[in-house]
Amino acid sequence: MTLPVVADANPVERLGRLFDAHHERLYRLARRLAPNADDALDLVQETFLRAAKSPKRIPAGASNEEAWLVRVLINVRRDQWRRASVRARHQDAAFENARNEDTRRSPEAGLIARAAVWQALDVLPPRRRAIVVMHELEELPIQDIASLLGISAITIRWHLAMGRRDLARALKTSGGTNS
Amino acid sequence: MNNLKELLRGADPLRHEPAPPPGQHAVRRQAVLAAAGRADVPASERPRSRRAFLATSTLMLAAILALGAIVWSVFNSNLRAAIRFEIRMAETNPAPGLQKAKVSDSGRYIYLHPEVVVSNNDIAAVEVVEAGGPSQYGISVKLNAAGAGKMRRATAAHIGKPLAILLDGQVIMAPVVRDSVGGAAMLTGHYTKAEAQRIADRIVKGIGMR
Repeated sequence: MTLPVVADANPVERLGRLFDAHHERLYRLARRLAPNADDALDLVQETFLRAAKSPKRIPAGASNEEAWLVRVLINVRRDQWRRASVRARHQDAAFENARNEDTRRSPEAGLIARAAVWQALDVLPPRRRAIVVMHELEELPIQDIASLLGISAITIRWHLAMGRRDLARALKTSGGTNS
Repeated sequence: MNNLKELLRGADPLRHEPAPPPGQHAVRRQAVLAAAGRADVPASERPRSRRAFLATSTLMLAAILALGAIVWSVFNSNLRAAIRFEIRMAETNPAPGLQKAKVSDSGRYIYLHPEVVVSNNDIAAVEVVEAGGPSQYGISVKLNAAGAGKMRRATAAHIGKPLAILLDGQVIMAPVVRDSVGGAAMLTGHYTKAEAQRIADRIVKGIGMR
């Protein structure tokens, strides 16, 4: 899909308006993709820095702007995720350490389970994770996610199915659920 | 396992963490706008380092080499896909010295004269054009000067009779000559657009083949 391109008279002003209009929505998504709040803030900032580098590529219209920014944010997160592939290779060990750390910090069983569930999301590639988050937590319909990400509804369904399967495996491995 | 949605909601950090203080967003907004202000300087006014110039030159050279490789590849593939193209005069009735040939996809037979009037090297361009209706298409064959001369001479005495267009020795169409064909010929045959395009594509592929 080709989106219309608008050359704004003042790109800085437009970027400020974009930031004000979309930063909260982007932060909510970023926080659910990134490991902590600081990383999520960095992720949002990096998204707008990419927008600052190529303002003419930002399409016009609030929904198109949002879709473009969401895609950029997911791409930025994906780049970070790939760079952290070494960490992923040691995921099991890291996961175990995190669980032990959580156990020391907060002995309550509920907190441990919560950390384990959220940690399990780390096995998902960022785009798949974003799709799971948008569908399960933001409760966006599949068609809306497809429009937002510029991919087909069938692909969204496939990512959801794979995401649920991967999450179930990760939770089973970690013992993060009580069933 | 518990319901996935409930599990994720229970673990969602947005439900358990305080929102970042407004100051955090303000600081980052400022950083973004400062970066945008720097990016807003026109490219022609920005200083260009020697390293950037070298990198650009290297990229351009690589792009030119890649483009050359693609063009060469396409050129080679076209040569491999080349089809022998011929136009010969034909008759509807048998006669001594004529070769009987079946017109593809029609069940009709014509009788070919032995002489090849024009071949691949006599064609300048080929295109599909509408021929008398939205669902009827013809093929416009533009001949080069040498081909036009040969066709004009051959068709002037052949009006009302078929000529045969052959691809790799197979008669793919045998339109009736409506007029003396010179530099450009409209070959009518009541073909669909897809059929005409298919034929035109095959002829185009044959241009340049000896």
